[in-house]
Formats: sequence, C-alpha cells, structure tokens
Amino acid sequence: MQGKIIVVTSGKGGVGKTTATSSIGAALALEGNRVAIVDMDIGLRNLDVVMGLENRIVFNIVDVVLDRCKVEQAAIRDRRIENLFLIPASQSDNKDVLTSAGVERVAKQLRSRFDYIIMDSPAGIERGFENSVVAADEALVICTPDVSAVRDADRVIGLLYARSLNPKLIVNRIEPARVMRGEMLSHDDVMEVLSIDLLGLVPMDEKVLISSNTGAPLVLQNDSKAGAAFRRIARRLNGEDDLPIEMPVYKTSMWQKISKTFGLK
Amino acid sequence: MLSGLLKRFTGKKNSKDAAKKRLQFSLIYDKLEVNDTTLTDLQQDIVDVISKYFEIDKDALELKVKRDDDVSALVFNTPILHVKRKRA
Repeated sequence: MQGKIIVVTSGKGGVGKTTATSSIGAALALEGNRVAIVDMDIGLRNLDVVMGLENRIVFNIVDVVLDRCKVEQAAIRDRRIENLFLIPASQSDNKDVLTSAGVERVAKQLRSRFDYIIMDSPAGIERGFENSVVAADEALVICTPDVSAVRDADRVIGLLYARSLNPKLIVNRIEPARVMRGEMLSHDDVMEVLSIDLLGLVPMDEKVLISSNTGAPLVLQNDSKAGAAFRRIARRLNGEDDLPIEMPVYKTSMWQKISKTFGLK
Repeated sequence: MLSGLLKRFTGKKNSKDAAKKRLQFSLIYDKLEVNDTTLTDLQQDIVDVISKYFEIDKDALELKVKRDDDVSALVFNTPILHVKRKRA
C-alpha cells in the first residue's frame, strides 16, 4: 500500500478546517478507502471531540513521532464508519516537540498502512504548519468568502507553492442568498482573487454545529447540505475528476422571480 | 426584492465589490513587502559586488524599496570614493 498524504490548511482559524478534515476523511472511508485522520494541532486538539472519539484516546501523534508507541496503538478506530481512524493531537505539549524529520519518518509508516492520510494543520504559518505540510503529497486550502480568510489563504497558497505543492481550493460557508444580494463574495470572486483550482463549494449549514454537538459524522446526516458537499469533494479527490462541482443555490420565491424579471436585482 | 429596489434608487453599490477590489489591492501589496533580513542580506551582496569595482562609502549608502501607486522600485544609493583599477 502506498497511501497519499493530504494536508488541509487555511492560514486563518475558524474557517471550518477541522469540520472539513473530519468530513472529507469520513467520506473517503465511506468510498471504501482505509483512512487515517491526523490532528496536527498540538496543544489545541479538537478533532477528537468533533469526531466523538474523545473518550478513547490512549496515545497521540506526539507519542508516535517520539517513538513512545506504534502507529497502531495511537490510531483510534471509528465505530460508525469502517476503515476510518483518528490519530489525535497531544493536548499537553507545544508545537515545537515535533521535528520535520520525525514527521517524515512517521509519514512513511502511515503511507504503508492507509490509502489516505488527512492531516489537519493548525491555524497560522509557524512551526505547526510546517510540520503538517512537510510530508504532504497534496494540499487543500479552506477559505470562507470574507476578506480576512481570503487574504490568509493567499499567503498559505504562496507558502505551499514554495514547497512545490499545488493546492486546491474549497470555499466554505457560502450563503447563496447573500451572494445574490451582493453582500458576500461569490466563489467566482474568491477564485479570481486567489487564482487556483477549485475542488468544491460548501454551503453554510446549521447541521454542522448540531453534528459537532454530538460528535456524529456530518457526512452520515442525509439532510446536511454541507455533508453532501464534502462527500462530493471526497469523490473528486478519490479519482472522480469529472464529477461536476455543485453550486450552492438559493431557492427563489415568486416575488424574487418577478423582481428579477424587472431587473431589480 | 426590497433591497434590489433600494439599491436601484439610491445607486448604492454592492459591498462585495468593495471587498473584492480591496482584496486584489492588498494581495499585490502584501507580495511587495520585503522583510528586514532580506534587505540586509541583499545590501551586503550588492556592496560585495560593487566593491569589486568601486570603493564606496559604506556608511552613507542606502537601500530602499519605494512604492508608488502602480510601480515599485528598488533604490540603491551610494557615494563612490574611488574607482578600483583592474589588474590584468
């Protein structure tokens, strides 16, 4: 087995990196892959609670890198989704305990055991970011349609290019109604500013918070628009390049249709 | 619909257009920003090269990145004390 390491980055915090990582990982596992999600946010771990696995942590990624345990011992198996594993971050260390060389050594082991290894990078562009991208084969950049997230995404894209990674963009939390009213950057605007390839568009979805409340996988909620979007993103990552990118749409009411006809929008 | 009407009559522009324009400008400027170590290294390299041909006043020289609305320039300004004779 020669797995692929995909790093999920954003620069800015709070744009949905952790949700994206867990959802894409879960969706890739549902497609029949053996998947490990690695929380690289040392000292501020979150993936365990989002995935509902916080009570089962014994070892973490720092233990693996520092050779205190084996990969198998640190990887927590998800009970709802087959072939999905989480290697949690350590909560007590800081980001300097990991070295690039150590991460690369573990990356080799992970590649031989999993089809996909999804690394959740911490916010920022410091050591934690470096450690997350050092072994990556592919990179995803998550961005919300606001000026600070786009600017930070641009910075991160520059850093990824410098490491010969060709990142793909996911625009998260799109609110089609606000895009239509001209209150929010559209995905076309974001793509034009950042000029990188698009992997997927994820609409704003109240279900994201609800599923993280209980630690249930978003991609298993049938009525979640964001969950469905992440499943499509995973299929595209998994080789279905021709799967079209679905645009979040705003259901227009009668009045809006009439006003549009008269050119008021 | 109401907002559409309002916009039409007040001639107010979409806020997202402002966001896009501001982003495009700031990203260009962000990339022109040079950090101090880079400038110091660059200055040392330039001095080394020029010193092969000229004797310059190292205390009086200055290196700056100048930015105008549409162009940026690297300005290196130094007094020349002597021209060094090249030996054959």
